[in-house]
Amino acid sequence: MPQSVSRREFMNLLGATFGTSALIRIGSALSLMPAVAALSRPVLAAPAPGAGKVVVLGAGISGLTAAWELTKAGYDVTVLESSNRAGGRVMTVRSGDVIDEIGNRQVCEWDAEPHMYFNAGAARIPSTHSNLLSYCKELKVDLEVFINESKTAWVQDDAMLDGKPIRNAELSTNVRGFLGELFAKSFSSAQLDEPFTEAESETIMGLISQFGGLDEDMLYKGSSRAGYVSGGFINHGVQKDMIAFKNFMKSRMLSLTFTANEGETGPMLMQPVGGMDRVPAGFIRALGDRVKYETPVKSVKVKDSSVEVVYLRDGEPQTIVADYCFNCIPAHFMSGIEHNFPAEYVHAMKYIRRGEAMKGAFQAKERFWEKEGIYGGISWVNAPIRQLWYPSHGIHKDKGVILAAYDFGGGMNYTRMTQEERVEMLLSQGEKVHPNYRQLVEKPITIAWHRMNHMLGCAARWGRSGGGMTLAEEELFATLQQPAFGRHYLIGDQMAYHGAWQESAILSAHWALADMDQRVRSAAA
Amino acid sequence: MKKRNLAVCGIVLGALVSVEALAQSEAQVDDHYYNDRYCTTCHGADGMGSEGISAPRLAGMEEWYLKRQLENFRAGIRGTHEMDLQGREMRPMAMPLTDASIADLLGWIGSWEYKPTQVTLAGDASAGRTLYATCAACHGDAAQGNEALGAPALAGQNDWYLVTQLKNFKSGYRGSHADDKLGAQMAPMAGALADQAAIENVVSYINTLGR
Repeated sequence: MPQSVSRREFMNLLGATFGTSALIRIGSALSLMPAVAALSRPVLAAPAPGAGKVVVLGAGISGLTAAWELTKAGYDVTVLESSNRAGGRVMTVRSGDVIDEIGNRQVCEWDAEPHMYFNAGAARIPSTHSNLLSYCKELKVDLEVFINESKTAWVQDDAMLDGKPIRNAELSTNVRGFLGELFAKSFSSAQLDEPFTEAESETIMGLISQFGGLDEDMLYKGSSRAGYVSGGFINHGVQKDMIAFKNFMKSRMLSLTFTANEGETGPMLMQPVGGMDRVPAGFIRALGDRVKYETPVKSVKVKDSSVEVVYLRDGEPQTIVADYCFNCIPAHFMSGIEHNFPAEYVHAMKYIRRGEAMKGAFQAKERFWEKEGIYGGISWVNAPIRQLWYPSHGIHKDKGVILAAYDFGGGMNYTRMTQEERVEMLLSQGEKVHPNYRQLVEKPITIAWHRMNHMLGCAARWGRSGGGMTLAEEELFATLQQPAFGRHYLIGDQMAYHGAWQESAILSAHWALADMDQRVRSAAA
Repeated sequence: MKKRNLAVCGIVLGALVSVEALAQSEAQVDDHYYNDRYCTTCHGADGMGSEGISAPRLAGMEEWYLKRQLENFRAGIRGTHEMDLQGREMRPMAMPLTDASIADLLGWIGSWEYKPTQVTLAGDASAGRTLYATCAACHGDAAQGNEALGAPALAGQNDWYLVTQLKNFKSGYRGSHADDKLGAQMAPMAGALADQAAIENVVSYINTLGR
């Protein structure tokens, strides 16, 4: 019977090759990607007469989703938003915008051009996020392709090649060549235990050879996939020399050469034309003046047959009484807002830790990456900035906005840094990839989401063990997912197993809407 | 840039907003929206304190004490120790403040309604009562504070915040700055509390003093 390299054997092989941490990362990459989200929009019944009033707290994506679906079903909806804009962590920065980071207010001074923007929060739409895509279609939010992966972009790690950056393609080719050789050897020994037919052996060896770019002796000696040093079109190409695997052994970044899966980190994603805030703008077009800005919530009290919300308008307290409340205010803020939630609900709410993340961007005086053959995609740096993103839009314009840092964890450190220190960090780490970086970029913007006014956190953190949610954490989650006293729903990507995506926020809203609808229908029955 | 600002607002707010409203929102940028009144973001509605942000209660706290702390944060006397992360979160808020804006903030804070705090500790209050005798010398028998001695009220403050500060004083994260004379007096007092249990006991006693 033919025997393939089992998943376990493959993982063992990777473990032996890359170390346990790489194993965990790759394992996560293989199993953590949720399935294509099924369209989950609930079909809501019209409200019972005199019982159709809903208050939505927060104009983030989940709040806007709930508001829009309820509006379409005939509910009377009011959205209270504490800041002066909709979208929450969906935020696009352009010329003249104020970055309302507490203690680090900035004003964007980039050129006022349509392509000169930076998606400071959500920035990518995977093709698997069906619900978000369906709202983009419904709300007429034009989309374009976002190039997430470019094999011509760079990988830089002080722990390999003396810190010299290497093209992703060249690194990938050499790593795959090494792995191909290992596979070929392991298959040869498997062949001894389980005889294959000649045709089967040829198929498998052919696959391994293709994977690794191996020669006829099943050895890797370099491949044109890594790119040519010169030529290759109208004269003979000069192939790059192979780089022996030992040169990469100390790097912990090699797994990223395998992360080109379709899905959430696929090579091809999407973005709205003109900035991610076109998504909330689409909802706002539909919702109109149902959304009230600068209306911070003071208290939320669930009564026997209503929810009473007190908020401030022009500094004066106002009261709104509704039948149901959908709340996407970050859980860490709710301890500073008066409420009467049940003890177990509060216990679960307090368990959530606020996430930390920092993004930075520069105006590039010229699109220097295009001169290096890079059009979109990401360079990876083994330093706190982690990534440099080259814009997929505005190709061949004079200037562009380069994402200069995306630190999606451990961001509390930026609380300790001044803006000047952050900018110097962006520059000194970015110039490891692009030697003249410091001269080529200007007008920095940094955004630490755990310091942003009205946010003070990035994606909520449920798991504390580092390996997803524990059973106890899942129970807390389930407690918080249920409506407090049957009328108050906490929503947002904070109420998802897999947060930090707009799809998560939308799905949390759909879950809550469906639950409410069931209650409304059973009350009417 | 102003014109651009308008255009951006227009996009964000959508087509349904009138030109008049746009002009207003631009004025908001300049006039009232981006000011120094950030307190409630962290410190909660009416400055009730927010455990989720580790930000203490401001409502009902003495104006003279709040003033001194804002000045200390501004001057770097507080909120600069490497290990005082909450203090470091606060400090950038105080740095840009002028004396006038501090006065404005204090007036605003003074207008907030005080509501009793929630008890989150379950320490041994009777054991804490004995320990509190030392504290009472400066902070008063009812933990009501003593302005003449520079000792703030403790009663009515969030208990989790008092625990954090006692630990910070004990560890030298607070009160070790050369110019923090009052903090330097407090640090050895906190140091005399043997351990976490002692700290929780004394704060649990303070909880019984009510407000």
